[in-house]
Amino acid sequence: MYNNVVSGIFNNFIQNNISCLRFNFRGVGNSTGNHSNGTGELNDTKACVDFLVNEQNIEKLLIYGYSYGAAIGCSTVNYSKNIIGYCAISFPWDFMGLEYKKLSQCEKPKLFIQGNRDRLAIYENFKTHYDFYLDPKRYKIINEADHFYLGFEQEVAKETYEFYRSIIE
Amino acid sequence: MCGTEKIFINNNEIKLEAELFLSSAENLHKATLICHPHPQFLGI
Repeated sequence: MYNNVVSGIFNNFIQNNISCLRFNFRGVGNSTGNHSNGTGELNDTKACVDFLVNEQNIEKLLIYGYSYGAAIGCSTVNYSKNIIGYCAISFPWDFMGLEYKKLSQCEKPKLFIQGNRDRLAIYENFKTHYDFYLDPKRYKIINEADHFYLGFEQEVAKETYEFYRSIIE
Repeated sequence: MCGTEKIFINNNEIKLEAELFLSSAENLHKATLICHPHPQFLGI
């Protein structure tokens, strides 16, 4: 279970003593099952939300997702009242279709992080997609970063932590 | 990472690989959920 972006965020939360759970979707790493084109993955995220709320007594939950994880994770934002917002890193709207854009619409706080050299979450289309979303929302452009954020992990982690502090603390 | 726990979360017949960190009482009842990317999507 390693990805440079997710590990940067995860480790930064731990260093700041913030409870966090990260997971692999079905069919990835040691998770069982097979990829199901989003339907099953939405349920995977909901299962993790249920685990935190019902088994760990979490009352306020922020969802973070990167790339495919942003499209799926943020699309569960309206699943529970305990989810109070989300942060999407390189939301791949142009590859995922309108369904996930609609599912991730909400009136909860949202942060979108985007690299200006990203060709998977296409930077040139970012503002058009961003404008679709209701307030409260904000975005952060990471200059010179592409979809993989190599060398920019700390900058991403810093933004995600500040978002957490602005919402929860 | 010290202080984390490797777990599996059940989703019906699926077992999801996960890593959990629970903070001290100061931040109890608050958490973040981080969704990994899909390697096929990243082309790796």
